[in-house]
Amino acid sequence: MISKTAIQHLIDKLGAANVAYEKEDLLVLGYDSTPGIHHLPEIAVFPTTAEGVLAAMEIAQREGLPIVPRGSGTGLSGGSVPAKGGMVLCLNKMNRILEIDEENLTATVEAGVVTLDLFNAVATKGLFYPPDPGSQKISTLGGNVMEDAGGLRGLKYGVTRDYVMALQCVLPDGSLLTTGGKSVKDVAGYSFKDLLVGSEGTLGIITEVTVKLIPPPKAKRTFLAYFDDIRTAGAAVSKIIAAKIIPSTMEIMDKATINCVEDYVKIGLPRQMAALLLIEVDGHPAMVEEEAQGVDAILRQVKAAEIHVAKDADEAGKLAAARRTALSALARVSPTTLLEDATVPRSRLAETFAEIERLTQKYQLKVGTFGHAGDGNLHPTVLCDERNAEEMHRAHAFYDDLYEKVLAWGGTVSGEHGIGMAKKEYLARQIGPGGVRVMKRIKNAFDPKGILNPGKIFADEDPCTQAHVEEGFRVSH
Amino acid sequence: MSRTKDKLGNFTPQDAPDYEDVLQCMRCGFCLPTCPTFALTGRERSSPRGRVALARAVAEQKLEFTDAVKHEAFFCLDCRACTTACPSGVRAGEVMEICRSQSHQQYPLKHVGKSFREFILQRMLPNPDLLEKSMLPARLYQRLGIQWLVRHSKALKLGPSWMEKAEGMMPDLEAPLRPQLPELTPARGEKRGRVGFFLGCIMTLMYPGVSRQTVRVLAHQGFDVITPKQVKCCGAPHLNEGDRQTARELALFNLDLFLKAEVDYIVTDCAGCGATLKEYEELLEEMAEHDKLAVFRAKIRDISEFLAEVGLRTEGLKPVHKSVTYHEPCHLCHAQGVSRQPRDLIRQLPGIELREMEEASWCCGSAATWGLKFSAESQQVLDRKLNNVKQTGADILITANPGCQLQLAWGVREAGMPQDVMHLMELLGQATPD
Repeated sequence: MISKTAIQHLIDKLGAANVAYEKEDLLVLGYDSTPGIHHLPEIAVFPTTAEGVLAAMEIAQREGLPIVPRGSGTGLSGGSVPAKGGMVLCLNKMNRILEIDEENLTATVEAGVVTLDLFNAVATKGLFYPPDPGSQKISTLGGNVMEDAGGLRGLKYGVTRDYVMALQCVLPDGSLLTTGGKSVKDVAGYSFKDLLVGSEGTLGIITEVTVKLIPPPKAKRTFLAYFDDIRTAGAAVSKIIAAKIIPSTMEIMDKATINCVEDYVKIGLPRQMAALLLIEVDGHPAMVEEEAQGVDAILRQVKAAEIHVAKDADEAGKLAAARRTALSALARVSPTTLLEDATVPRSRLAETFAEIERLTQKYQLKVGTFGHAGDGNLHPTVLCDERNAEEMHRAHAFYDDLYEKVLAWGGTVSGEHGIGMAKKEYLARQIGPGGVRVMKRIKNAFDPKGILNPGKIFADEDPCTQAHVEEGFRVSH
Repeated sequence: MSRTKDKLGNFTPQDAPDYEDVLQCMRCGFCLPTCPTFALTGRERSSPRGRVALARAVAEQKLEFTDAVKHEAFFCLDCRACTTACPSGVRAGEVMEICRSQSHQQYPLKHVGKSFREFILQRMLPNPDLLEKSMLPARLYQRLGIQWLVRHSKALKLGPSWMEKAEGMMPDLEAPLRPQLPELTPARGEKRGRVGFFLGCIMTLMYPGVSRQTVRVLAHQGFDVITPKQVKCCGAPHLNEGDRQTARELALFNLDLFLKAEVDYIVTDCAGCGATLKEYEELLEEMAEHDKLAVFRAKIRDISEFLAEVGLRTEGLKPVHKSVTYHEPCHLCHAQGVSRQPRDLIRQLPGIELREMEEASWCCGSAATWGLKFSAESQQVLDRKLNNVKQTGADILITANPGCQLQLAWGVREAGMPQDVMHLMELLGQATPD
């Protein structure tokens, strides 16, 4: 329990408007977008400067409170959920774009800047920040870095990690540190910033991010292809890659997803089709022309049921926006949407779809599958009801089986959502006891007392931090 | 959201949210960037996702229906921008509207506040005659008694300097329109059908000139216009204040009144009324025959939705050489999904240039009594809107709802901006020949 004195100290340091301790505030800062995970913090702070973060860190240390950084709470593995209570450190008020450096092609922002706001700001200067997670309208750069967020353009342009040039962070020992810089090349010592990317708030708290920018592609062509069989769509993806064409986007949606998305966006998606692929090629106009012909030829060759080309950027934008709503739209049909982030080598796509179909049958579940087919990153989503324990049990069995196959094929248990609380056991399975030991040693080197985001990434024995256990914080009436 | 049922968690049984409706939220946060109150505070509990989570916590007995929950229910603008943004189909605004009703059950008002609230909601608003008499400007002070209001402003929880604002917002009042409009205004030119006109309280009292144009334009467009004189308040203020019972009584009355009139369509020029009329089906579930409700629902149109659907007859329209920008009323674009139609109509008017503003569908901060209860916050929301209006440099600011029009006209005047603020139907009226 946090002391009244500590609350007062926080108010003195951060200002009353930036400290929240009422139950109604705390209740709604104990979740992200991961279903079934919800824990109550003891206090929440909204620092507006790196010094504020340091001050909050110091007081939390003194009080022995765990510290959990939080951006907009759109994570999908429970990364920002206060698994062991303590202090939620909200970074969304640190939302200034500090600099767009047109000479070095970099942008420096505070951790709470929203991804799309950065994209738009650099676009006005004729520059391009490619990482575009599904939640880009809401997610923050700090959160993107912590979870190493991907997005629709990952296949050609890479993920957040590929754009991080420098990070300013507050470490558990109370130091404020900058790692990396604007130099394109930098091999001075361990690549500490790369260790921080994807560390899910367990090593340090990021306060400032410098990212690489690139010139935007001059031309684009967007295809929408429909398929009678989802495996054919998988085959088309593998063939496009094998033909040495790297589209900027190659997204898949199955029938269930198409229907849910169409219920929301109403743009005439084909409800009766088994799957669709949204493919975009971009770059120099001549190259776009050549690649578009290649894509078109392959789609014909595999016998796509229909092939459409977006008539303009507006239509293409609408299609991408529709795709981004897929997960949330699936929530229309069931109270709980349990999604995973399995990623396989792309040559295994067709098999993966077949396996998802087989397991859906085996466990008698309703599953909607969508994802970044082009980089082998799929989001099979079980549409279920968390109140139905038996169904949830089957859902977890479904993922257990699926991950077994995914790992056997050389895939990974998380392409872009992170491990958080939801996938700790799967991570252990993937990297083995040796891998876990190395990671834990790294964690201990930074945070020997274990105050930074405890209960994440590594499986431990405390049942309170197991996924899908909802803590009861009942109040007497 | 049914009327009564088994008690859900810490809600009272009467008018509680459906558990399914709050469980539907998968917390993706797509609503966050669309929520004006979240933009103001940056606090999750003042966001749609946070508010639904609070309702869920009350339902799951993790939280009592606390004062803070009540505050959030009323701090919500009910602008429904989150409904538009939600891919999962969660209706956070409606959940909050229900929570307002809960507030009155869980925190009954003290005597003075209660009797005043009942006076307004249950005596004044349902009675058009009484309303008209009280609102005659000369009588406003005496009858309704601004001084009386001042004395009791605490009970109403109105914000600081609300009265100055309320007075400033009042347009020059003409005589109410309702007694003046004939029951039947005949179609002109080739007749295209028969519409019932739902004349809203604020329209007849504060904007009689707008609704007069609505009827005139409808007639010019070839429709017989039936305006039932007995029409009562649609119930929107009651839903807004959490008095669902009186809202149901009014809805039942209006339902029968308009069905008896045997019209092809029921049209309104008030977005707030339109949104409420379209909700009768849910509001009266189990209280009226399903078929009747469905027939009624199928006939309701906002005026712009209606004219765009039947097609505007543009021959003979007079050119209006002005540039306009369009502010979307929340209860039109978010609550009714009518966004394209007003723009389509504007573009069809000869001489008019439509200049889109940024964030056209962002609330103006009026939101029924919200603008008076939270006057400082309302000013911030309004400033954001006015700034976007300013950037267009348009001659006229068009909207389609009296609440927005009051707020915007006042805001433009206070800010010394040059724009005329008009209802879309006034613009159409200008283009319509005599």
